[in-house]
Amino acid sequence: MDLVTVKGLSKRYGGIVALSDATFSARAGEVHALLGENGAGKSTFIQILSGAVRHDGGSILVDGQDYRPANPDAAQARGIAAVFQELSLIPDLSVEQNIWFRHEPRTWLGTVNRGEMRRKTLALLEKYNFPALRPDRELRRLTLAERQIVEIAKGLAKDPRILILDEATSALPAREADWLLKLTRQLAAEGRLVIFISHRMAEVRAIADRLTIFRNGATVAAHDANAVSDNEIVAQMIGRHLDRLYPERVPTATDRIALRVNNFSSGSRLSAVDFALREGEVLGVGGLQGHGQRELFQALFGAARAAGTVELWGKPVSIGNPRQALIGRDGIALVPEDRRGQGLLLTKSVRENLTLSVINRFTENGLLSRQKESDMVKEMVDFLRIKAGTPEQLAGTLSGGNQQKVIFGKMLLTQARVLLLYDPTRGVDVGTKGEIFQLMRDLAAKGYAILFHSSDMPELVHVADRVMVMRNGRIAATLEGEHISEEGILRAAMLETRAA
Amino acid sequence: MSAFLTRNRLIVLAYAGMVVLLLVTALFSPGFLSVSNMRSTVVLAAFVGIVALGQTFVIIGGGIDLSVPWVLNSAAIIMALLCGGQDLPLIWVMPLLLAGGAVIGLVNGVGVARFGVPPIIMTLATNVILQGLILVLTGGSPTPSAPALIQFLSVGRIGGFPVIALIWLALTLVATLLLSKAAFGRHLYALGTSATVAEFSGVPTARTTILTYVASGLTAAFAGMLLTGYSGQAYLGMGDAYLFTSIAAVAIGGASILGGSGHYLGTVAGAMVLTILTGLLPALNLSSGALLIVYGAVILLTVSIGSEAFAGLGGRLRRN
Ligand SMILES: Nc1ncnc2c1ncn2[C@@H]1O[C@H](COP(=O)(O)OP(=O)(O)OP(=O)(O)O)[C@@H](O)[C@H]1O
Ligand SMILES: [Mg+2]
Repeated sequence: MDLVTVKGLSKRYGGIVALSDATFSARAGEVHALLGENGAGKSTFIQILSGAVRHDGGSILVDGQDYRPANPDAAQARGIAAVFQELSLIPDLSVEQNIWFRHEPRTWLGTVNRGEMRRKTLALLEKYNFPALRPDRELRRLTLAERQIVEIAKGLAKDPRILILDEATSALPAREADWLLKLTRQLAAEGRLVIFISHRMAEVRAIADRLTIFRNGATVAAHDANAVSDNEIVAQMIGRHLDRLYPERVPTATDRIALRVNNFSSGSRLSAVDFALREGEVLGVGGLQGHGQRELFQALFGAARAAGTVELWGKPVSIGNPRQALIGRDGIALVPEDRRGQGLLLTKSVRENLTLSVINRFTENGLLSRQKESDMVKEMVDFLRIKAGTPEQLAGTLSGGNQQKVIFGKMLLTQARVLLLYDPTRGVDVGTKGEIFQLMRDLAAKGYAILFHSSDMPELVHVADRVMVMRNGRIAATLEGEHISEEGILRAAMLETRAA
Repeated sequence: MSAFLTRNRLIVLAYAGMVVLLLVTALFSPGFLSVSNMRSTVVLAAFVGIVALGQTFVIIGGGIDLSVPWVLNSAAIIMALLCGGQDLPLIWVMPLLLAGGAVIGLVNGVGVARFGVPPIIMTLATNVILQGLILVLTGGSPTPSAPALIQFLSVGRIGGFPVIALIWLALTLVATLLLSKAAFGRHLYALGTSATVAEFSGVPTARTTILTYVASGLTAAFAGMLLTGYSGQAYLGMGDAYLFTSIAAVAIGGASILGGSGHYLGTVAGAMVLTILTGLLPALNLSSGALLIVYGAVILLTVSIGSEAFAGLGGRLRRN
């Protein structure tokens, strides 16, 4: 018998239809992938399942019984837990306090039993072979990836029968993502149901037993994973055939140096880096996570202290803060790693987010021209096909992939021709990913210079002209031409540094 | 239009509250809606409104200014001392004291933005220091009466309209332009919503923060001088009430005390609500103690309505 059966589920927000007719069924002991474009309704669906929002119409059966959770506690009582992205964690609490939040083990006095909490935490981390994680670290000190792992631990701490992972791998580096995929299989083998959302087809292929595809808020198909090809899946997701994900890599780099960096260091994570990024070039930055990639991007953008020399278009510059980086055509713009913490004003509109960095451009005699602003916003929304009811929709209510598009649009509007893209396709659907890669290549052809980091290694391999592999805060190797491959990157990332 | 209403729900609510309160007060004392009474209500509200202007900016930016009372006091007392009841010195005294208020704001702003001192501590400290300075300066002795020109500004009329109401109107226009029509406004809302995102977006966060405190210093000093005209004299402690009322007016006006939202137009309604409440007092035969209780209750009520709306929003924010 199916563990979960959903029929005709619908949900609307004002005039926006998030789900119109979602149908779904899944058994215990399987990994069930949920696929669909950005804004298809996947997150809405799991928010309903996990009790975070209430549905308008349709029915859900769990164990054949009617299920309509009033809140996440009610969902949990029925054995359902969801792993959202970083949002539900509390920055001021430690890792273990977050994991057991509101379910802390108690002493007979009713106070938190710290010893027991530590013991349970270690047991949990051990049982599922978690990547190294100190239980007493304050959450605000963790990286995005580490926070995602804590979120997963928090979900598992509830020992759920149904675990929902909403794009949990998107913030994880390769090794941790692999661990999560293995863990997912292990959980299914234990007889649990794992509902798995990801925009990475390879992951879905690796672990899913069955899959359900959403489009525009409705279920369009459900398949056994081995009975359907990638192409069919993608076609059902986006409603058309996708010829290729990666654009043709026509070299467009010129001899002109857009960004030259010498002896560039930041904190203890980035030491004495030298490289040059040419006009028209997409330069990939790879390596294992935590080897200085983040620091490099942040320091170049002026968001972290740095030493060394930086030249932009041949002129030495000193960039002490992002303001000094965002100086129009000759500046540098960044798509940051943490889209909610660094990229978007969640409680402000799509319009205000898009134009925040360039608002001065819409003023005449000191006063804003709303018309000019709206025109520009409309152009960008159309160009990137941002799915929003109106430009006045709050950015925080967009689907994850559409939030990422807003950040991308915001960066493009700055007109900077040196772009720092830190994981720009995180949470973006396949169709749009292809469009973003194409856009990157188009920009390069127009003379932009792009520094590109991705936590998804194949993206580096297929999109970048050259790949710098970082190791211990240095550039361990720079791969070119046919040397660019996943194995090549991994080898350089792990082996002792050789002269590149 | 409906988009405007949902976007500015809390501000609309503040005006609705003001109207309801007016009608209720009129029920208890039928003379309340008379022209002369409305006029004096607006005059009193103007003082609150002017002090609350700077406070609105500070709060939208995510801070708070507790130095308002003694900036106001200092400006009032020093003006009275320097002018000695004469109009002429005002031509240099007024600019001087406005500059003084701006400098205090600058100190507050630099402390907060550059040295990372929490706004509560920073502004509380300047408040106490100013208090000490003034006590040293005056030895607590009474000051001469206010110059006639200042009295004209605060109680005079032009064509039947109180001068100060016209000043308030002009300031409201300026504040509205700054918040809704200038880049500064966008930067300010961004800063109050998330300082990190603002910084990453190239917003001049430090400068914007400092400007809000400078504005608050300016408006508090200006209000202090006007208030001297209203009461005919400057005295120690005349600014005390304005700490609470300036913050309360902003909160009633629909701003989140955590920053990032609100508008001066809301604060205007907030200042009116607070002043009408004060007018309700004699009508209901309430003691001044009771007034404080009502005051406090109203703040609690409005702020909790505000945060309810805020929580609703938070719940709707996505967890992808
Ligand atoms: N609170 C809300 N207010 C307004 N619209 C909303 C709200 N929540 C969701 N939506 C809309 O519902 C639609 C479905 O969003 P949902 O987050 O479920 O998509 P998704 O499939 O998870 O997309 P992604 O892959 O980008 O994460 C989107 O168009 C989104 O803008
Ligand atoms: Mg989603």
